[in-house]
Amino acid sequence: MSPARARWRDLLSRYGILLAFLALATGLSLLSPSFLTSSNLLNVLRQISVNALLAFGMTAVILAAGIDLSVGSVLAVSGAVAAGLSVAGWPAPAAMAAALAAGTLMGLFNGLFVAAFRIAPFIVTLGGLTIFRGVALVYTDGRPITGLPDAFDALGNGVALGVPVPVWVMLAFLGLTHFLLRFTSLGRAVYAVGGNEEAARLSGLPIVRTKLVVYGFSGFAAALGGLVLTGRLNSAQPTAGSGFELDAIAAVVVGGTSLFGGRGSVLGTFLGAAIIGVLNNGMNLLDVSAFYQQIVKGGVILGALLVDRLVATRKE
Amino acid sequence: MALLELRAIRKRFGGVEALKGVDLALEAGEVHALVGENGAGKSTLMKVLSGALQPDGGEVWLEGRPLRVRGVGEARRAGVVMVYQELTLVPDLSVAENLLLGRLPPLVRHGELAARARALLEPMGLAGSLPADAPIRSLGAGAQQLVAVARAFGERARVMVFDEPTATLSAGEAAQLFQLIRRLRREGVAVAYISHRLEEVFELADRVTVLRDGERVATAPVAELTPERVVTLMVGREVRATQRTARRGAEPLGRFEVEAPGLAPLSLEVGRGEIVGLAGVVGSGRSEALEALFGLRGRATWRGRPVTSPRQALRQGLFLVPADRKTQGLVLELSGRENVALAVLPRLSRLGVMVPGRERGLARRWFDRLRVRPDDPERPARTFSGGNQQKLVLAKGLAATPEVLLLEEPTRGVDVATRSELYALLDELAAGGLGLLVSSSDTEELAGLCDRVLVFRGGRVVTELAAPLRREEVVAHVTGAREVA
Repeated sequence: MSPARARWRDLLSRYGILLAFLALATGLSLLSPSFLTSSNLLNVLRQISVNALLAFGMTAVILAAGIDLSVGSVLAVSGAVAAGLSVAGWPAPAAMAAALAAGTLMGLFNGLFVAAFRIAPFIVTLGGLTIFRGVALVYTDGRPITGLPDAFDALGNGVALGVPVPVWVMLAFLGLTHFLLRFTSLGRAVYAVGGNEEAARLSGLPIVRTKLVVYGFSGFAAALGGLVLTGRLNSAQPTAGSGFELDAIAAVVVGGTSLFGGRGSVLGTFLGAAIIGVLNNGMNLLDVSAFYQQIVKGGVILGALLVDRLVATRKE
Repeated sequence: MALLELRAIRKRFGGVEALKGVDLALEAGEVHALVGENGAGKSTLMKVLSGALQPDGGEVWLEGRPLRVRGVGEARRAGVVMVYQELTLVPDLSVAENLLLGRLPPLVRHGELAARARALLEPMGLAGSLPADAPIRSLGAGAQQLVAVARAFGERARVMVFDEPTATLSAGEAAQLFQLIRRLRREGVAVAYISHRLEEVFELADRVTVLRDGERVATAPVAELTPERVVTLMVGREVRATQRTARRGAEPLGRFEVEAPGLAPLSLEVGRGEIVGLAGVVGSGRSEALEALFGLRGRATWRGRPVTSPRQALRQGLFLVPADRKTQGLVLELSGRENVALAVLPRLSRLGVMVPGRERGLARRWFDRLRVRPDDPERPARTFSGGNQQKLVLAKGLAATPEVLLLEEPTRGVDVATRSELYALLDELAAGGLGLLVSSSDTEELAGLCDRVLVFRGGRVVTELAAPLRREEVVAHVTGAREVA
């Protein structure tokens, strides 16, 4: 392969997602005049915020060569805990902190089975998905919790400096996740464990601790998503977040993170979530039937993986 | 006329000529042993024979006709089979199903399957030892190998290749395999048999071919050879210049005590600046011993303190450079810099946050010191050549400032130039006071590098040799030629 073509490949594999995103956005702005308005764009960002939060946590897990299917259920439990404690008279910040702690604990529960008992992450978190959904139903007695203090509405529907609060939360958590993964020794261990667990072990890295941390982190992220969603709906639903794990995984893989672990970034995940969000938004603006939207979304996910695969095999 | 003939086979891998025009003839009804040191070309030759590799030059003739195959499947159909147990058996199917795999009609009655399997096993004397109903998974390595042989025989194989078949077998299993091979010989099969264990060769083979550096140096009936003669042929005459004249490292650094399954209890002292070699064939216990020293198996202590995990071993000043840099040594997707930093992350960070300057500085120092090429720490580790990847693993270990460096097959798959560079580096490290343990199947490497060599056989140290080392002597002890004579 000529150096020029090799360089093209490299650019394509590194910035392919960004290019796809820009192409999509350009196309939509030509097709629909209302797409490229600041109110619509902020709307898109707000719509993707919950999924993006889950996907950021999921990115850390997948980078460590794991998977977390339980995030939707963890989201429901956390939302219910925050709402339930608030209704029971806790101050909102304390209730929210308790919900974040609960989410982290559920993540650590997954991590314990994966790291210490060495059970396949898919199975462990599939169990978690079911167990935590059950916990949410038990805790709420199957009924929505309403009558929440104003703090929830402010978190879900508020606007600060012209930008919706959920978008601020998402961007702050994006920054935090990126910092943890790229600039700390813990983040380096995540990449190493996911890229080659044996090499990481022989280099003396703490494998069990690293895995525990990523699952705990994913639980925390899901709880944060649960708070935002509860705020948006102004109520906690026991069935909230069903199927969210798949959207989160989709954002991660469209964002270029390898499901085998060790390769990818949370910035890519943000773009992945944005692409899916823009696609949904664009199809709504263009009046595409909701049924067809599903097909297109699935097609885009497969397409992204196919491009990634083609670029990767050529590089070998 | 020979049943199978290899004529002037050539094969090159990159810059290395693995086979330089080798001739070999296998007669029907003979067991033909192939011996030679690591890298002599035995396995490459057998891969050409069995269709796993395409030669760059030369021809294979079967029964007086040229045989052109493009893969192991075609070779198998032509009657030339390499016996690997793990690649060709389906672990969850039964012995009978595996024996008849690929030759079954779509619907089979259970009784018929068993009957057909028995019809195959009985003439080979295996009906008693291999239950037709048992799943392959439930059998030991030896029994699995017998199934693989029986299956090949059932497919009317006329040439069968065995590559170190006894490496993973117990003595009883090996005896059973030898019996089966003798039966194949009576049935007129030509058997090619690669082994590092000369006692096996002298027990089993009719003729012996010795390979050295990709060339055939001799073929002779076993009756005309002695173990000493074979060793001399394997080693040739050349002697390396860097050889130690006397043992260094009299000042002790510490002592290892090891207990592990399959190993006799081992006590091993390492001196300051001493290079200790661990020699032995695959399965002799040398690699297992090294792994145990690093806390990967069994129980070990270093200076009286237990070593139960790699993490702990590192804290105690030990580091292992593993045999396979791609699967054990490096995180290939990470950059050279990130790999070099992997074992010392706490030292490169403050409150868990990496200090970029420290990490870049560390990578720079080790890239310079080991002359890693290309000289760019930011490239992904997977883009470096084998020899430079090995340097990256070494750099990672040395960055952790160990007192004892353990190395498994330190120059496997490394080109000649880098190899001598690595030898010089290990020498330099020893001169700086580091203790080194080198486990290797390359006796030239051990004889050239070490102050002392422990020879492993059957899970125990059978001999200890001290500098000045003669390679012939190491080879003779490793292959067991000393005991045969």
